[in-house]
This record gives sequence, C-alpha cells and structure tokens, in this order.
Amino acid sequence: MLAALVWTDGPRELTTGGWPSGVGITLRADALSVVFALLTSGVLLVSLAHEVLDGVRSSRFPALVLFMATGLTGLFLTGDIFNFYVFFELAMIAAYVITGYGGEARQLGAAFVFAVVNLFGSFLFLIAVAAIYHVTGTLEMEEVAARIGDVEPGTVILIAVTVFVAFGVKLGLFPFHFWLPLVYASVRPAIAAILSGALANIGTYGVLRFGADILPRELELGAPALVTLGVVTIVYGALQAMSRRTASEVIAYSSIGQVGYVLIALAIGGPVGYAAAVLYAVVNAVNKALLFLATGLRGWLVGAAFFVGAISVAGIPPAAGFFGKLEVFRAAVEADRVALVALVFVGGALSVVYLLQIYQHDHWRPGSDGASREASPLALRALTVALAALVVGLGLWPEPILAASREAADALLRGAP
Amino acid sequence: MIVLFAAAIGILFGAGTFLMLKTDLLRVVVGMVLISHAANLTLMASGLTRGRAPIHPLPEETVSDPVVQALTLTALVIGFAVTALLLGIAYRVYTTHFAVDFDRLAAEEARREAELEREEVSV
Repeated sequence: MLAALVWTDGPRELTTGGWPSGVGITLRADALSVVFALLTSGVLLVSLAHEVLDGVRSSRFPALVLFMATGLTGLFLTGDIFNFYVFFELAMIAAYVITGYGGEARQLGAAFVFAVVNLFGSFLFLIAVAAIYHVTGTLEMEEVAARIGDVEPGTVILIAVTVFVAFGVKLGLFPFHFWLPLVYASVRPAIAAILSGALANIGTYGVLRFGADILPRELELGAPALVTLGVVTIVYGALQAMSRRTASEVIAYSSIGQVGYVLIALAIGGPVGYAAAVLYAVVNAVNKALLFLATGLRGWLVGAAFFVGAISVAGIPPAAGFFGKLEVFRAAVEADRVALVALVFVGGALSVVYLLQIYQHDHWRPGSDGASREASPLALRALTVALAALVVGLGLWPEPILAASREAADALLRGAP
Repeated sequence: MIVLFAAAIGILFGAGTFLMLKTDLLRVVVGMVLISHAANLTLMASGLTRGRAPIHPLPEETVSDPVVQALTLTALVIGFAVTALLLGIAYRVYTTHFAVDFDRLAAEEARREAELEREEVSV
C-alpha cells in the first residue's frame, strides 16, 4: 500500500506526534526503504509460515518474529539516525532470543556469541551516531547528508570507517565473519532463513543508506578498499564453502561470499552500480531464505526447490540470480574493470561446484539413516516449492524488480547532491 | 574537559574490549556493559552546548544540549535491556552446560565435530 504510494508520488514523510519537523521523529519512505521493507516482510512471513507448519516449539516464537518485523520495518522507514539505532536494537534483541530458540546447548552457545559480537557492532554504530551529531548538529538523515560536506574530511572518514565496521559485522563481511558460520549452522533452518534473509538486510541497507546517501564522498574515497574486501570475501567464502560438508555450513559460508558482490557493486557506484547492489541484495535474500528452508527437508520436490536455489545463487538463467549477476556484471563492464568481470565469473563457477556438491550429497546419495529419507510434510514442501517458483518467476519476468532497483538507486542519487 | 571525556571513554572501551576477550562468559558480559557505557559517554560528550539544565522557563545563560541527554537516556535503557538478556542467556548456558567458560564450550563443540566426522567416514 505504502509501496504503491511511493511508487507514484515519490518519497513520503511523516513526523510523529504532530511536532514540527526537527523536534518530532521523522519517518520517511523512499523507493529504497520500501523495497527493503517489502522484501524483509516477505522473507519473515515465509519463514514464520515454515516454522508454524513444522510445529512451533514455543508460543513465544511468532511474537518474537513479529517484534523483529516491527524493528526491521521501522529501521528501513526511519529518517532519523538515532531512531535507526533504536529500531536496529529492537530487531537485534528479538534476533538474539530467536537464535537461542530451540534451547539446545549448541544454540544457546551460538546465541551468546551472536549477541556479544553484534552488540559490539551496535555500540560502535552508536559511537558513530554520537560523532555525526557532534560534527553536524542534527540527526536527520537528509540534513546530515547536506551538512556533512562542510565538515573536515579526516573526521568524516573516521566516522565512515566506524559505520562501515559496524555494518560489516552485521553482514558477515570477510574480516568480521567469524561468528556467522557458527550461528547459521547451529540454529534451526527457519531461523537461519530469518537471519540471513531478513536480518542481514540491515547490513546491506545500512551500507547503502549511509554509504551512498549520507557519505557519498567517503564512499568514493574508500572504493578501492571496498573492492578489495569484496573480492577477498567472495573468494574466501567460496573456498571455505567448498571445503565444508554439512549443508547449512556450506550455505553459511556461501552467504559470506555473496555479500562480496553487493560490496563490489556498491564500490563501483553510480546509478548502475547502486541499482546492481540493490537488486543483488534482494535476489540474494530470497535465495538464501529458499536454500536454508530447503536444507531441513527431504523429498524430490524439495530437491527441485533446492536445485532452483542453487542455480539462482550461481547465476544461471532462468532463475532470478541470473539478473543479479548480470547487473553486477554490467556495472563492472561499464566501469571497465576486467578483473572484476572475471571474478564474478569465477565466483559463479565456484558456487555451482559447492552447491551442487551439497545437492548431490543430500539428495542423491542413498540415506545413511532411514528416517531422514522420508519425505517431509506436504505443506512444508509446498511452501518451499512456492518460494522456488517465485525465484524462477522473478527470473522469467524480471522487469518489476529491475525497475524497483533502478528507482531505489535514483532515490539514493537524488539524496546525494 | 574534552580530554577528560576522551580519556574516560578510552579507558572504558579498552577495559571492556579486554574483558570481552576473556573466556569467562560473565566477564564477557561485564566487558559488554563497559563498552556500552563508553558509547553512552561518547553520546553525552557529543553535546553541542554546556550550561544549566534545560527546564522550561529557560534561564538567561546557555542551557546544556537536551538532545544528547534524551539520546543517552534511550541508549541507557536499551543497554540495560540487552545486559539483562545477555545475563539470561549466560545463565541458560550455565544450566545446560554446567560451565560458564568458552574453553569448555569449545571443547564440547570439537567433540561433536569429531563425532560427525566419524559418522561421515563410516558411511
């Protein structure tokens, strides 16, 4: 509903509590926020449906997912940096509890590590917020973007690095990734899908919003570093994924690798680069949700769904991942970066290898234990297949999502004079 | 004053990071608390003006910046909630493992991995 309004009329603003702008807290919806909000709600809904169909173990789970949905939607729609932090914590606290859901010893350990590492990231972000307020005297994103140009560059770079590290921790980028495989591999599939399909969007959105919208100059300056990190992330994620054998671990490392593409697209910048970054983030979130949900299930329908997810990550048509890769590819070509083009290919090839390895291992090999060979309940399989159909559908009819990502990129560029 | 703030924030953050690198879960939680207070202090220090308390019939001289105080208050509450949650998780870990030590948890994890590996070989 709001998405349609933004689509036709451009950005919407709402200041809560009837206060004049500057005193009240601003909520702002532009194309980027709407794309991310829709995506996240969709992923959360599917994961929740999956868990409900599988049999909820605790009555708190749906409530926590809704709590998280509130936090995430608020985060995407807010126009105020400090509010961003508050919503961010709201979503994260729900996420910490959800990670521990299931109550097994491993999950609790994972929840603790997850909470500590991400809290560290959050507090770094809070410090960055304080620094931004100190140098610009405002907390509203638009105002900050307008005023930050007059601030001494050295200070702003320091802020930019802090913000980047904070979101890097959240995204599981290469030097900050250590917590991610442990957490994703030990939680239940639906929760892994929530974490990687919905929560990781905070990182992507944050990097896009703060990098491209608020600190464009620093983004340009840091582009070589971002490209390097992106490349290392892709290669490291792919190689680690190939050496793992349990499905959830492979996909966890693969999600580290996939973030690298978003980073590269962001570093290339410009309308094409930003559009590619948004598109890739959207496609990646759907892929990851599909793969994680499919890992817990058995049966040939699920095998087919997993296969669709796999070729989508690898970027083979007709799956949606093809367009994600294609856009990153186009951005790289337009920037004349031959090495990056080659890397996108190599990364795609590696992901085919590791995902099909898992596919073969899980779905073709005769079962070691009879129980896990039996097909899962029909409703669960149907849900997974529906998600797979969505991936293929986006691949066959990509115009809406392409248009959405362009619109989002335009919104970013309009914000950054 | 700024130097004093900077030194206090630095010491808090450093001590917090040091504690976070310990293997004892409770120390990690305390380290987190210290880091959160370093962040709160940074918020306070980032205020734009200093002066009297900003209560409605405004005094003639400059008042202190109310925004950072509101922010710090919010951040404090969030930090408090998060600390409670962390302690809760640490307690659950304790009741399931009978240990609040990362080394013990890691040893258990390694044992589980080895078991998986054995299953893999036997298949």
